[in-house]
Amino acid sequence: MKRTLIVFCAFLYSCNPDDNTQPEQPYGKGVIVVNEGNFTDNNGTLSFLPTGSPALSYDIFLKENTRSLTGGVSGYGEVNGKGIILVDNSGAGQDKIEIVDAGTFKSEATIPSAEIENPREVVKVSNTKAYVTAWDATGNWPDTYINPGYIAVLDLTTNKLTKKIPVQHGAQSIVVSGNEAFVGNIYSGRTVISVVDITTDAVKQTIEAGANPQVIGVDANNKLWVYAGGALKKINPSSKAIESTVKLNPASAGQSPGKFVLSHDKKTLYFTLSAYDENWNEVGQVYSTSVDATTINATTPLIRKVFYGMAADPETGNLYGGLAPSFKQAGYVFRYQPNGTLIDSIKAEIAPAKFFFRR
Amino acid sequence: MTGRSTADSLRETIYYFQRLKAGGLSGIIGLLSLGSLVCLPYSLFAQKELTLCEVEVKGVRPERFMTGQKIRDVDSTDLARNRFSTLADFLQFQTPVAFKSYGAGQLATISFRGTSAGHTALLWNGVNINFPSLGQTDFSTIPLTGFDEMTIQYGSAASCVGTDAVGGSIQLRSLPDFKTEGLQLIAALRAETSENFSGQGGLRFHHPLAGSRKLSGKTLLYGSSIRNNFGTEPITRKGKTLPVEPVHTRQAGAVQDLYYMNPKGDLLSLNLWFSDNDLAVQPDVIMLREITRTRAYRGSLSYQWGKTLLRTAYIRDITDYGKGENLNPSHTQVDRYILRAEHDLSWIHDCNKGTNLKLGAETVYFNALVDGYGKARKTETRLDLYALLRHQFSARLSTSLNLRQALVSGYNPPFTPSVGLEYTLVKNNRNRILLPVSLARSYRVPTLNERYWEVLGNPDIQPETGFNKEAGLVWQHKFSEITQTRAGLTVFHNLIDNWTYWNPEKNYRVENLQQVLSKGLELETSVQSRIEKTRLTVQAQYTLTHASQQKEYGAYTQDIIGKQLVYVPRHAVSSTFSATRKALSVDIQQQFNSRRYVTFDHSGQPYMPFYLMNLRLGYEKRVHKRILNTALQVNNVTDVLYPNQKKNAMPMRSVALSILIGNF
Repeated sequence: MKRTLIVFCAFLYSCNPDDNTQPEQPYGKGVIVVNEGNFTDNNGTLSFLPTGSPALSYDIFLKENTRSLTGGVSGYGEVNGKGIILVDNSGAGQDKIEIVDAGTFKSEATIPSAEIENPREVVKVSNTKAYVTAWDATGNWPDTYINPGYIAVLDLTTNKLTKKIPVQHGAQSIVVSGNEAFVGNIYSGRTVISVVDITTDAVKQTIEAGANPQVIGVDANNKLWVYAGGALKKINPSSKAIESTVKLNPASAGQSPGKFVLSHDKKTLYFTLSAYDENWNEVGQVYSTSVDATTINATTPLIRKVFYGMAADPETGNLYGGLAPSFKQAGYVFRYQPNGTLIDSIKAEIAPAKFFFRR
Repeated sequence: MTGRSTADSLRETIYYFQRLKAGGLSGIIGLLSLGSLVCLPYSLFAQKELTLCEVEVKGVRPERFMTGQKIRDVDSTDLARNRFSTLADFLQFQTPVAFKSYGAGQLATISFRGTSAGHTALLWNGVNINFPSLGQTDFSTIPLTGFDEMTIQYGSAASCVGTDAVGGSIQLRSLPDFKTEGLQLIAALRAETSENFSGQGGLRFHHPLAGSRKLSGKTLLYGSSIRNNFGTEPITRKGKTLPVEPVHTRQAGAVQDLYYMNPKGDLLSLNLWFSDNDLAVQPDVIMLREITRTRAYRGSLSYQWGKTLLRTAYIRDITDYGKGENLNPSHTQVDRYILRAEHDLSWIHDCNKGTNLKLGAETVYFNALVDGYGKARKTETRLDLYALLRHQFSARLSTSLNLRQALVSGYNPPFTPSVGLEYTLVKNNRNRILLPVSLARSYRVPTLNERYWEVLGNPDIQPETGFNKEAGLVWQHKFSEITQTRAGLTVFHNLIDNWTYWNPEKNYRVENLQQVLSKGLELETSVQSRIEKTRLTVQAQYTLTHASQQKEYGAYTQDIIGKQLVYVPRHAVSSTFSATRKALSVDIQQQFNSRRYVTFDHSGQPYMPFYLMNLRLGYEKRVHKRILNTALQVNNVTDVLYPNQKKNAMPMRSVALSILIGNF
């Protein structure tokens, strides 16, 4: 459940000029819910929640293509009217990237397993190009991240991978700012953020940030937020300098922060604090803080729940929380106003982990 | 293979240690009518109808004390016919059990009457051989050649030592052959178009010694290389597409049995069984490769001394799991040292009236070295005490009362009694109608993983307990001297409490969360006949199972209560048909499973119903004592596409040719 999530990348697609929804197309404005599925069941799905309606469409890839995704789903992104689905099967050598028409969800191409292993996140870098972070093949736990991670460069004009950019082990979170992509990693213990030049598709430098840096996003003050080495840090994307460390005082000792999400106006940071009680129940809450804060005192929770995944709607600012009661039954999507007032909850599919907002 | 975050990695680890640790009416009707059309079985379902006088001689088999329970014996002929099958392959066509398979040549676990993989006791010569860290067996690693006889016991009143026998138990026995004198040799080879190859070779001997003493033994070596190569591209049938997972499984094993019988009939038995199963997923790409190697060393030395049995046994189970170059596999090694003593008492009035009592004790010392338990070696001693009492009032009525108490270091599982009754309602020249009834408490000692796994295990976890009730009606009918039928109906109701669950809500900590009720009915029929010179045997069974979670244990469990458990088909039908005329034989195996759910709340895509058919044509030539047997077998004749647990394609149609030569 402690799955690190970077949902901020969703914001980066929100201004896609080619997203003029065709009214006759089945999937227009709304939210794509990424249901991760259960490990080894390989039953990840995407569901579609149209704007202004709680009527969620289940497993839309199966519906439109009469075949399942046959894997967990680790990410979804869009570039120029194309949807990019990251499929992460529990078996080695069975991962893939499905490229669909974003309006109809009909399959257009498949990047086969021979070319991608353990894709983790996808981000748009231009109108023809997306970056996919990947771990490559993994080893025995606890030495999971035996191979260097990479960024697979996906050309959406040809629907082919054109290059693999080697980065640190366990590459996962990615945020694009200007002409650069900042790449973090999970649990491999690596301490650098790789900075990739999106015009040359090459690593230009690294930033020493602390263990397992998770890049969160760029705030309204043009600072890159990072959670690394157990601390929140603000990096100047131009100078690459860590300008400040934000102290986070949890409501009670032993709580771990997670699920960092920037608000639609990028002036607020949402996060969860959670801990396991004496009966091993995960107990936690969602908090919010201004991005101007130098110290965060988590005192009054915004929402008294922990989520498997969280995201903010870039248009309304509403907060989406994906709740996974177990990996063997459908989860729920809880929607809140920015002030934490519950709007509704909708039954989704297995482990709703990420959200992609379409205009 | 995805590692993911810590929780996911743990999940993965648990999975792998757990693994070492879910219609169409016309299909059912079709299968059933096939069974009743050709209509007939023989002693297929026959319970041993020995009189008390016959069983008086030596120790009485534990199954004799399971009065009122459904028992199915599989004899050596049946096993020999399926000598290249694994226990998983065999049982799915012969019994209403369901299997969870992770792919051909990969992990296959059993679900007996809707229960989970740890709820079936697998006993080899009376010793529970479930892998103790997981409490279950991979049935794909047990070849039918490893033993000589099998008994399938339905329900909870399992055996002497009762742990794991919640849904049922399967007894594998090694037996001496004191009938045929001399040396018999056998060699067999099998090749299948899907690049599966198997070979077996061995001998059996019986050497009478001076003074009515007898020496007998068996040596068997077997091996196979299983690729199940159906290409690398996803397979599409009838609009459904499933990917193919490249796998290479290598199995090897050796069986050595030695028996010595003295003039008084006392029997000394030495049984050794070594098996090695090496599974590689993605075998040809080192970076992606995933290896699971399991080895089992099993040895048992028994002395049946009059009515006293003394047995000592040793079992070592090793599992190595690794990825990539597998330089540092995670290692599990559990040794078990077993001592058993039992004694039979009997008070026989006449051949139809009398009492048998079996008193016994077994102690097992466990020594576990498992990476997941930390550096410390875990040891544990268990003691099982049992008293099995059978009283036969008359030729019509027999009853039993069995008492079992297990003592485990740390805490004790519950006292588990069982009672059974069998009443013969009708008995004449043509008909026999039996009414069996059984009530049994059952338990499962938590597995070593459930207790000792670092962080996620729970030393305070409680044993699971079950209460199984079943009743049946069996009708045997003799149409003529050559045509006999048997039909049976059994209803069962099994409530299992403290069902353990690796709870994802608590980061996969194991808990006694669930209460499961499994209930249903089983119908079976068998016919045995002869039409001119053709011998016919047909058996078919249908099972209706409803197994569901009963108790709320979390905020979202209302979504799953009362719903059929994952992977348990509501309807299951299987049948076998066999016809033999002189040297030629035809065998047909069929199986139908209704839809199986993958999620507890039935959301998402279930596994659709599937139907499987295997066909075998055999030719057997005997010259003097020499035998040549060839067989052509078509597996999955109708080329049905159906998924395994990982949502990959199971084997499609393949053709196998086998040849056997011997002198028996």
